[in-house]
Amino acid sequence: MHEHPLDLIAALADGSLSDEAEARALIESCQVCRDDYMAQTEVIAWLAAAPAVEMTDLEKATLHRDLWTELRNQPAKRSATPWWQRLSYIAAGLFVTVGLVGVLNSGLLGGGADSAGTTTAVGDMEGSDAAPSEAVPFVAQGSDDGESQPEMTTETTAAATATTSAAAGEESLALPFEELADEARARQNDRVASESTDADFEACLTRVGLDDHVVVDEIDLDQTYLLVMRKDPEAEPVVTFVVLPACEVVYVG
Amino acid sequence: MTVPGNEAELLTRVVSGDREAFDAVMRNHQNRVFSVCLRILGDRERALDATQDTFLTVFRKAGQFQGRSAVGTWIYRIAVNTCYDQLRRAQRRPSQSLPDHLDPSDPAAEEAMESAALRPEIEVALAQLPQDFRNAVVLSDLEGMSLPEVAEILGVPIGTVKSRVFRGRRLLAKHLRNQIDQ
Repeated sequence: MHEHPLDLIAALADGSLSDEAEARALIESCQVCRDDYMAQTEVIAWLAAAPAVEMTDLEKATLHRDLWTELRNQPAKRSATPWWQRLSYIAAGLFVTVGLVGVLNSGLLGGGADSAGTTTAVGDMEGSDAAPSEAVPFVAQGSDDGESQPEMTTETTAAATATTSAAAGEESLALPFEELADEARARQNDRVASESTDADFEACLTRVGLDDHVVVDEIDLDQTYLLVMRKDPEAEPVVTFVVLPACEVVYVG
Repeated sequence: MTVPGNEAELLTRVVSGDREAFDAVMRNHQNRVFSVCLRILGDRERALDATQDTFLTVFRKAGQFQGRSAVGTWIYRIAVNTCYDQLRRAQRRPSQSLPDHLDPSDPAAEEAMESAALRPEIEVALAQLPQDFRNAVVLSDLEGMSLPEVAEILGVPIGTVKSRVFRGRRLLAKHLRNQIDQ
């Protein structure tokens, strides 16, 4: 059987030879080598013409969400958050708890019982290895800050139905994501009008691979939920919820 | 092979539980991992599963990265092994129906699938290749990786990669001509 230097032919075909003279002479003198060379170049050209594969934005967001859900759901062998960050979360939780207890004791919110549900204090945002968090009453934010928006209705609706836990995972949230997403989709103009001016928001969107997205709404509960959509108004109206400060995608739809 | 300092440093931070570092590693490599998995498995949904499994492994085994190769090479090796595992599992359960190609809730995926699709006859011919040949051809000719990198990812000598790529292309050409003749 005729054996020919496949290395040489393959290298000639993929253009990796610095000196092609020997290989050219070979394929001139050997029919089998020539056939092989033709086959190699043909296939290389076909494959090179294949477009690059990319994940869609939804696939990226879903991957990110599912991955972190999976990581949260298994026993952690190590802390997923630096100790100092965990301490700061605990400190923030204690601060909020003490503050709310003080406010409630002073009777300032005596008439707000209707809007109070239950939620838990801010604790470890990482989930599976989180220490149990202390429950505190939830008080919906009022609109007396002078900066209330029409969306405040959405916010308070969301607040009234929200039950959250220290873990930022979507499995522990009862936010009406679908309804809120539908509302956001209905306000298509927000995509064009909205500009994320908050550097933290921008940094977070970059971190979760949503650079080309814009914050169309913001819901402040015990954590901040950003509703983001692609900046391009022609793009699919997919709404993604990102929770802060964990900066984690908790819903895509 | 050189180790890109920033990437190796990112992995070190992942070991200490830095999520931001892990997100950065993901951002750098998710598209290529997905591409490799899609070309090897031939199915978008399975490729997404394999991509997720790959990064789970990356997270869990970040501490085992020795710095002897580029971080990307190490990650793609995990991706290829994850695909092997998926293929082995699929062979053990031949009666199980394959998942749908596309997520019906993601029209962009359909568009992406169409735009990234190989010509159908090439896809068919590629699927007919022995797995070892297919992987070598995918990494070398579709992903444009160098032969030493492919060798490292597949865990075989460079000579073996050259041989697999060469024979894989030869078989591809043969399958394609057969299809054209039919």
